[in-house]
Amino acid sequence: MLLFQSEEWVEKWCKRNNLERGEMLTIHQVWELSKLWYHNRMSVEYHGRSADQVAEIFSKVGLKSKFWYIQG
Amino acid sequence: MKENLVWQVRHFVYQNFAKTTHPPSLEETAQHFSISSEEAAEFYKELHNRHAFFLDLEMLTIRMANPFSGISTDFKVHANEKTYFANCAWDMLGIPAALHCDATIEAKFTESNEPVQLEIRDGQVTKNDLLVHFPLPFSRWYDDLVFT
Repeated sequence: MLLFQSEEWVEKWCKRNNLERGEMLTIHQVWELSKLWYHNRMSVEYHGRSADQVAEIFSKVGLKSKFWYIQG
Repeated sequence: MKENLVWQVRHFVYQNFAKTTHPPSLEETAQHFSISSEEAAEFYKELHNRHAFFLDLEMLTIRMANPFSGISTDFKVHANEKTYFANCAWDMLGIPAALHCDATIEAKFTESNEPVQLEIRDGQVTKNDLLVHFPLPFSRWYDDLVFT
């Protein structure tokens, strides 16, 4: 996941690499996602997560498009 | 292979990252659990297959234990008086989220290569106008983790 200062720079990068644009999130959204995704990563009890749990996290931060679709 | 030990090895790797900023070597892991290097390698491969971390399969070194990176990157995270490397723009925020701490992050913008600094303070991130680009849909994240 790459860091950009504006949409114009994302377009430049996509064009130069001949790649389609993916999804752009604000740094605030990514911070909210990080807290849900990583808060228990250091615990010995963390054994990964199910597709349903991933979908729930994405949903909580408003990531509901096909891009975030989980194959169960 | 003991299931319980698989997850203890994962936990040891993560604790080692948090404490030292880098992953334990195969030998360090073997020594910690009083097992042979060959047995430690089997645990590493099993955890790689379960996507618990990402191995360099030739060297049997840990390349990524998200959010931590085993190699230097453009995403430096200063936290708890240490400097960690994150794998990407998401993981640079993942380190303070995993460690539950404040952080100062030094990164570089993609394409322009300009440096940028941001902070995590009291559960809030500064520079809210920055953007993170996710190039691949979730269903393809594990096709090529380095590109992702």
